[in-house]
Amino acid sequence: MPDRPPATAPARDGAPSSAPGSRGALRRLFGGLPATASGRDLWAALGEAGLIEWMYPDGAVAAGVASERLAHVLAAAGERFSFGSTMSLCVQAATTLPLLAGGSGPCEEALRRALAGQAVVALAATDTTAGSDLASLRTEARLGEREAELNGAKRWINNAMAAEYLLVLARHRPGPHFTNFTWFLVPADAPGVTVRPSDTVLFDGSDTGDIDLDGVRLGNEHIIGRVGMGFAAFIRHIGPERLAGALWSVELCRGALDSTLRWLKNRPYGNGTLWDLESVRQRFAKSLIAVHQLQGLCDRLRARVVDGHDNTAAAMLKAAAGTTVNHVMETCGQLQGSHGFSTGGVQQLRAQAAIFGISGGATEIVRSIVAESAQEELDRLRLPAEQDVPLSAPVAL
Amino acid sequence: MDSGFIDLLRRQLKVDAATEIAADSPLRDLGMDSMRSIELLFTIEDTYGITLPDSELNETVFGSPGSLWAAVAAQLPPEQVAR
Repeated sequence: MPDRPPATAPARDGAPSSAPGSRGALRRLFGGLPATASGRDLWAALGEAGLIEWMYPDGAVAAGVASERLAHVLAAAGERFSFGSTMSLCVQAATTLPLLAGGSGPCEEALRRALAGQAVVALAATDTTAGSDLASLRTEARLGEREAELNGAKRWINNAMAAEYLLVLARHRPGPHFTNFTWFLVPADAPGVTVRPSDTVLFDGSDTGDIDLDGVRLGNEHIIGRVGMGFAAFIRHIGPERLAGALWSVELCRGALDSTLRWLKNRPYGNGTLWDLESVRQRFAKSLIAVHQLQGLCDRLRARVVDGHDNTAAAMLKAAAGTTVNHVMETCGQLQGSHGFSTGGVQQLRAQAAIFGISGGATEIVRSIVAESAQEELDRLRLPAEQDVPLSAPVAL
Repeated sequence: MDSGFIDLLRRQLKVDAATEIAADSPLRDLGMDSMRSIELLFTIEDTYGITLPDSELNETVFGSPGSLWAAVAAQLPPEQVAR
């Protein structure tokens, strides 16, 4: 289990106030960077301060990120930097580095540099095919005795433009079976690699790019982990990413509702303000409750995700985060009226935050995973047997 | 096949005791999809303390209980393999 803050620390902080990763320390660290800093700048600052390593308790990177610590970093970054810059930290810390830690040789050097903030590593999974259909990806790896050759294309890859290294998911056999895929460590400057910016204005600071791989030849020491374990390793690490993403989405929604509440209380309407309108309060309260529900779900499912590697629990979090963020941002956008369309306003955030329902498993995909375990999840909702409920204590559902 | 292995399969596939799991039953027909296959792989390696070799990570091995058990049994000491 990841280190927990001592009882004296704020309950939802990833660290006690005096620790290197406390919110105050993170604010001081990030305060030394310009507000226009890119994800790469943030990564470098975190690495230099030892805070990337801090996100992996006991230095066990392969065991996965401590989701609460990552969420804490994301929340602090989101206070000052663009959505894109903040987003670029999430996948790299949650999934990319733990996958990289499964490799040897050049992977060890890449990991050492990444942990120190000296190198950015991009996770290149999504192909030119539909992102929701990863098993149909076309990027191919021809495996030889001593080297592999990669051909294909990756799209919408976070950090691609800033990366020294790419983690490329490729198929070494035709067909959709989960054992047909393998991860490769590709130096971004290897012959045959071309990277260009993705066509979007929404994610500034994220260095999102499209990658072409044309006859990229690598020694077999660039194979990460076992041949055929690409999908399985990915699934093993995506749970903490989904938990961290859900925790971050709670913070994002809280911030949007907070600024909306201030706006409503200060916006004159009739003899009072917009906040005096019952219809406005009803709508606001509905969103507020939804965010509390999401936070409660994070608490309830945390152990299943972190300790149990439970993919259904992680999928539930991902589905809930995607729908809650969309609902809250839509509400805040509507309540703020034309003010929401100001530069950097909630309507911009709404468009950016829609990524929660798309990237890393679209809402419909993760709901399908939940549906696969429908009966077990229904059974988990049963009240405990009467004899198991202490009369003096509240029922813990 | 080892009875413990069949029990493990039954739990992973979420099939009841009445459903027959034969050595040549197609795992796909028993409800094995990609996600469950991955969970099964991790469960097998954790339970038996083995690492399946790269050469055994393929669709044929994961096609039936018999082929999967053969791959697992090959990694176990002989005294641990039930007859």
